[in-house]
Amino acid sequence: MNGIPPIEALDELAQRLDAKVQPGPVRELRLRTEPDQFLGAVRQLHEAGARCVTMFLTAAPDQTQTAVFALRGQLVLLGATATPDTPLPADLIGSWWPTVAWAERELHERAAGPAAPPGERLLTQPDADRLDRNVSGLDVFTIPYGPVRSGVFEAIQFQIETGGEDVPRLQTRPFFKRRGIEARFTGLTPDVAVHVAERVAGIASCAYASAFSHAVERALGVTPPARARSWRALYCELERMACHLDVIAKEAETTALYVGQARFQILKERVQRLRARLTGNRFGRGVILPGGVRGDGIIGLDEVHDALDELEDELARDRRLFLGTASMTDRLIGGGYVDRALVERYGAVGPVARASGLSTDARHERPYGDYDRLGVRVVVHREGDAMARINVRFGELSESLRISRQVVDHLRRRDGDLLVGLPPHGTGAACGWAEAPQGELLVWVELADGVVGRVHIASPSLRNWALFDHAFPRDVLTDFAFIEHSFGLTPAGADR
Amino acid sequence: MLEWILRGLHKRRITTRYPRAPEPPPVGFHGRVDVLRPTAAAPQLADVCPTGAITVDDKGELRLDRARCILCGECVRSAPDRFAFGSSYETASRSRERLVVGHLGDEHIDAVRQTLGARAAGLRKSIHVRHIDCGSDGSEEWEIQALWNPYYDIQRLGFFLTNSPRHADLLLVTGPVTEPMRKPLERTWQVMPEPKALVAVGTDACAGGLHPPDGITAGGVDQVLAVDVYVPGSPPAPIAIMHALLLATGLLTAEEVAA
Repeated sequence: MNGIPPIEALDELAQRLDAKVQPGPVRELRLRTEPDQFLGAVRQLHEAGARCVTMFLTAAPDQTQTAVFALRGQLVLLGATATPDTPLPADLIGSWWPTVAWAERELHERAAGPAAPPGERLLTQPDADRLDRNVSGLDVFTIPYGPVRSGVFEAIQFQIETGGEDVPRLQTRPFFKRRGIEARFTGLTPDVAVHVAERVAGIASCAYASAFSHAVERALGVTPPARARSWRALYCELERMACHLDVIAKEAETTALYVGQARFQILKERVQRLRARLTGNRFGRGVILPGGVRGDGIIGLDEVHDALDELEDELARDRRLFLGTASMTDRLIGGGYVDRALVERYGAVGPVARASGLSTDARHERPYGDYDRLGVRVVVHREGDAMARINVRFGELSESLRISRQVVDHLRRRDGDLLVGLPPHGTGAACGWAEAPQGELLVWVELADGVVGRVHIASPSLRNWALFDHAFPRDVLTDFAFIEHSFGLTPAGADR
Repeated sequence: MLEWILRGLHKRRITTRYPRAPEPPPVGFHGRVDVLRPTAAAPQLADVCPTGAITVDDKGELRLDRARCILCGECVRSAPDRFAFGSSYETASRSRERLVVGHLGDEHIDAVRQTLGARAAGLRKSIHVRHIDCGSDGSEEWEIQALWNPYYDIQRLGFFLTNSPRHADLLLVTGPVTEPMRKPLERTWQVMPEPKALVAVGTDACAGGLHPPDGITAGGVDQVLAVDVYVPGSPPAPIAIMHALLLATGLLTAEEVAA
């Protein structure tokens, strides 16, 4: 597992940044600087090798511009006062550190409100009809792909500048689906607010519910019972399997490998049905809540065990066939190449990062819930292409099956509580996290008097999409669908 | 390739026979919330619902608007004598009012259901379906896609996905309609040829769900365009959407006859 975080070094960090250390939960180092020193501190953290996760404003009255970094198995929260009379720094960090760019623009546009400069293109209010032209040359044109896409896909727009074959420039435009869901949390009690968390990105409901619950539990100093942690891990691993199988089925569809597509759709549907039998909901909703889980599964553990066995057997055969079909693998090998340096520069996470040789996984970096006991094997490939991203998913499918089986054994052997009560009128704020199928997910929750206030969600999809713009170094237009599916992202979580 | 074909043939039939034969949901499936006792309710009961789907009028009459219900189960847990999860797939309705249950019961919806099998058997046409996402949480898309997987295989009933709205007979809309998606939605509907039908898929699309009409979202598709069939659910299961498509096609043929 992770080494003990070098506390001395992190203390030194506070000194070097000239920042005050504020109390916070474990694995969350809270630093506070003066507003004019904020940019300098961010630069130092960048040099120290920190990965920026997100940037947001905490709620009034003590409104703080907060940047969250992941550094040596810890979160570092860097805050500076940002009240209306101390404006946000005008120099944009995003201009030299692309990881931060979208989060920073979102923050600035929100802070400016309707006073945003007219005529300037707002990231958070996209216009489907507006075309961008940045590449000039003979016969170069812009294809606006989306927001109404071909097939049943979520709304997002890609502005593809192409001369017909090569893709010299691609620009992803998210936020067509921004429905202001972060504001829907406000004023609810944590056990009701978790229903909102489940609906931020529906295909990763369990990951969002568990990250939100994790944040609430950390803010209030509550530890869920061991049996509840096991159930959560099982639900999250089943969800990961469904998402990965979905990606693989879509890749098969793109190569017109229809039997393969059907086979992986069957496996995915089986996982969905298993989840429906376990929880009453095909997406595992309504079971995870702050403090634990609502109850044991509807069906018995033996039945779950048998279903997992059957799934593993079928998956092994389909995987062998899939990886042995040249018409499939030829399209994936070398496609959508992103090298490790680029991944690090963009702070990408999840299977996308792990396919470019970066061993980053929240379950391993900062083990939460049951994962410090389960010991996750992080699946890493180095090739950085679409094939590597699919291979990472195949590897993680096996790993998820292994973890699920281990959890089922734990649940069989262990009786106990499923839920602990939260302290009434609890007040506090904390980050919670989870490794969603798309990558590391971070949720910031503020609680006052037992009611949820501001919530900020840093979805893995938003960060990975910034990298997607650069995934076409030597690919042509017809490779678009392969590369997009190999990223396996969901706009709902990114746009919120 | 041969190996794939053999692998495909190796399996026995897994496709559902719905709607010719009923497809029972798994035990304990949360398909909808039923009102068990609609009379003499305390007004505080309305407060347990995070989306305002429950109302109690001044006579103590309890009503549940399924179009607003996200199936979170808060009401079932706080008043198990009045509410219960029903494990049904067939939740779609041709009108918004029929989704309000409690004061009428489900009998009239059952009547629609009974005529359904006969109508589907007579379906000979090919119906082309187009989908547009107007701010869903992403799960509705999975359930719509699932209709074309081997378990549901809706092509056997004559439904095909089409990429162009100009070829489409049915439009499936998900999400509460966010501001940037309003114009694309209107234009997509405009270019579809007559006769056509619009299906709102999911609670968000039916009446906004968690999202009120606040300028960021329209709070439901019917705030923008007329909806022909509502499928509540968060998200509705594939069979629920299939049921809705069959309802909608009944509508299509009726219009064709009139034309």
